[in-house]
Amino acid sequence: MKLPNPKQIPEFFRHINDYTYRFNPKTGNFRYREFRGLKDDVYNFYMWLKVWKDMALLVAKGPLNIVKALFRYQWFATYLSYPAFVDRATLGMRGNQLRMARLQYDRIVKKATQFLYDSFSADLNFHPGSKKAKKIVLFDELIPCEIMAGFPNLIGIPAQTMPIFLTSILDQNIVPPYLDAAENFGIPADVCPLPSAETGCALRDDYPKIGCCIISCNMPCDGSVMTSAFQERYFKLPSHPYGVPIRYTEEEVQPYAIEEMKELIKFIEDVSGETFNWDTFLSAMEVYNQETRYELAKWEVNRTPYPQMTGETFWIYRMFFYHLSGGMDKNFLKTDKKVNEIMMRGYQAKAPCIKEMRHRCVEWSCPANFYPDFSIWAQECWGIYVVAAMETLISDVIIDTSSHENALRDLALTYQRCTMRKHTKGGYRNVLNELWTVCEQYNCDFVLMYDQISCKGMDGLRGLFDEQANERNIRLLWVAQDLLDPRTISKREMRQQVNMYMTTVMGEEPVRPDLVDFDDSKSW
Amino acid sequence: MKDLKHLYTFEQLLESANNPLVREAVDAGQLALGYTCYHMPEVLLNLPGCFSVRLRAPLTGSMDIAGYYMANFICDYAKSLLERGIEGGYNFLSAIMGTETCSEMNRTLEHFEIMKLVPNEKFFVSFLDMPFKVTENTVRHYVEQLKVKVLNPLHEVYGVDVSEDAMREAVELHNEVCRLITEIGQYRKEENPRITGYEFHILNLVSYTCPKALILPMLRETAEELKTRKPDAKKNWRVKIAVVGSEIDDPGFTKLVEDTGALIVVDRFCFGSKPGREVIDLPEDMPVLEAIARHYLNTSQCPRYMSKEKVHERHQTVYDLVKEYHAQGVLYEQLKFCEFWGYERALGSYVITHDYGIPSVAIDRQNATGANGQLRTRVQAFIESLEIKQIQAEKGAR
Repeated sequence: MKLPNPKQIPEFFRHINDYTYRFNPKTGNFRYREFRGLKDDVYNFYMWLKVWKDMALLVAKGPLNIVKALFRYQWFATYLSYPAFVDRATLGMRGNQLRMARLQYDRIVKKATQFLYDSFSADLNFHPGSKKAKKIVLFDELIPCEIMAGFPNLIGIPAQTMPIFLTSILDQNIVPPYLDAAENFGIPADVCPLPSAETGCALRDDYPKIGCCIISCNMPCDGSVMTSAFQERYFKLPSHPYGVPIRYTEEEVQPYAIEEMKELIKFIEDVSGETFNWDTFLSAMEVYNQETRYELAKWEVNRTPYPQMTGETFWIYRMFFYHLSGGMDKNFLKTDKKVNEIMMRGYQAKAPCIKEMRHRCVEWSCPANFYPDFSIWAQECWGIYVVAAMETLISDVIIDTSSHENALRDLALTYQRCTMRKHTKGGYRNVLNELWTVCEQYNCDFVLMYDQISCKGMDGLRGLFDEQANERNIRLLWVAQDLLDPRTISKREMRQQVNMYMTTVMGEEPVRPDLVDFDDSKSW
Repeated sequence: MKDLKHLYTFEQLLESANNPLVREAVDAGQLALGYTCYHMPEVLLNLPGCFSVRLRAPLTGSMDIAGYYMANFICDYAKSLLERGIEGGYNFLSAIMGTETCSEMNRTLEHFEIMKLVPNEKFFVSFLDMPFKVTENTVRHYVEQLKVKVLNPLHEVYGVDVSEDAMREAVELHNEVCRLITEIGQYRKEENPRITGYEFHILNLVSYTCPKALILPMLRETAEELKTRKPDAKKNWRVKIAVVGSEIDDPGFTKLVEDTGALIVVDRFCFGSKPGREVIDLPEDMPVLEAIARHYLNTSQCPRYMSKEKVHERHQTVYDLVKEYHAQGVLYEQLKFCEFWGYERALGSYVITHDYGIPSVAIDRQNATGANGQLRTRVQAFIESLEIKQIQAEKGAR
């Protein structure tokens, strides 16, 4: 689409934020930024500059590391697209919603750059014999890092988050080479792409070489269990498989869970020579509890007729503080406090959070990493407003810090309710019955059901989801996607599934016709 | 070779889950307990008054209904069980003893509970929480799970005797079956084995799917018969191979592979005998349940075990079996859409070839193998490559 000629300028200003004007499908980029009004634009631009400032700081702290990393790791350059990702993920946002999202994304970039700095400054590929590398405990990314609060002299780094998980959210085209590497090795194409890409990253020798040990884990599901053998073979570090009970709602499994946690602590102590520090641990858990309370407040507000939280930042930020901050980074608490103030202000003023809310919706199953702003699109295009997402509704356990035993018990409970694991394992009630409970709690009439085609845990209940949704008169729309691989089902094809359903089944007109169809196969 | 006397009967028994021996036992008032996974100790389902049936869905055709409930990316084994369950093919069961080991099987068995597929008021489905490694903590956990999920419900719902004596009795029966199958399996080590992989697969399958007490006489007779059985003077196979991988309950697969000229001498797959038919030892100073739990944890070769030792043990076990049974190569197979074996097949075949120097081929396959031309071609190509290696080795030796 070309820009209108000067004679059509008035027409252009009438449609200044139309996607068809702003977006260039040939390059995959926006021609110009979204206009949100003077006040919001100034704020948005200020926050945009802050993102670049944080990224520039990362370079300034170790320019040589960054240059080396750019040439050594294929995934690393993707982080340059973070500002563009935030722009996509805040599509149509104004006022409070823009501010809350921006604050949370700002915290995420700060934490991510810290991980990148720690990784590269200790990387044995760049610094042979690095002492810092020995201070790092590598975790499987699904293990929340709260336990590391007891080891203040060590650094816990989720091995796969920076190379695979976060990059896959930023750039749809970054993961396929890793998937291809795994498939070339012989791993079937029908397995879940996340562990497959993690395996591919190991096969392509694309992880930073860091760590005194690696903790693998059986969470969340079968594929993640299996990728651990590849990772351990790659890292060649002392390893410990940390087991988390699957039938986590059953009381009998708890002694096993607590003992596993104790064994995990002992392993880290033995390998690192450090002693678990209960004071720093309990103090961090207090912070974590406060963060969780702020999270629960978001849930509460979104259950009311005046919800305030919108977009992917809701679950992405949740994952970050739950998995990566773990109460150790108190800056998250500052962000939570600010977000909470804005949210409560909006709620008390009964301020609408989006332009037109036609359906209150639950987003269920795993969203596509390569299209994290999908629900923002659904909201803007069709008025399908996501009030709750499965990935957000993970552990709500408040950790009792009154004694060591209680704290460990509650931390074990928390770990059992981690991302994806809480719902996809432990029996159908956790995902099937839970969906209807959430629909009721959040007063939803619509379910955006991700058909992550290689997720066997969700696929296995497909028919029952349909039947039970019909019984409850809830609109349940399956959106097929392949998690990390846009070649199987593209972003455009995901949107087409919604478009067809909304026009044919629901008989509705789009809120924003300019968003109905466009080709973004070349975008990040 | 002369046909085994009971082979035809065994083949007939495998044509239905609810076969004549199962019906005979149920008519006699025994409880039929269905299960699918090695992690559910078969021996505990053979307590006095009960018998185990490892679930199969032979001769499955269309899976349209299961496809509706479970989508198309679920393995055929899981879907075929659901299809057969919806058709009423497992109405003879008193309970299903499940394990949340793989997601797909777990979801299949959950349908039996949600949709109340078995019209029996007392029918229940139980799910074990299985650990992913073998430590003292996981042994304790497994023992606790076996009490809570297997013994307690059987006792409370059906009044089954779950005492130590009853368990010992079950172990004795189980061990007799294992001894017979192991004895028969020893013939596979012979230079020119007197039993084919297909025949052995059939014998082993009936031992999993029929009431032990009723199948034992025929197994005993077969073992006796084999003592004097003479193999054909001229070998009717080209190479010997080990088959390693996921669930194979279809003897048609073994037949297809052997028809191409590869004699299967090692069955290291689910529904196979390695593991599955090892005698359970009961040390005097250990509670019976704990001894059973340790046996299953230690012998399991399931890829879901994550610890380095178990991963290494899996590959070493395959290598040891290859040497012990004089196999020339390994066929790694994976039931399509099996997440665990998808990874293990790739890694295992790489390790066994590159680290251990044993030729291997990795294939994925459908559950029902009838007329599978592609599979036949892959196996034929593998056989030829093994033969070429053999010729080259002989030339090199000269």
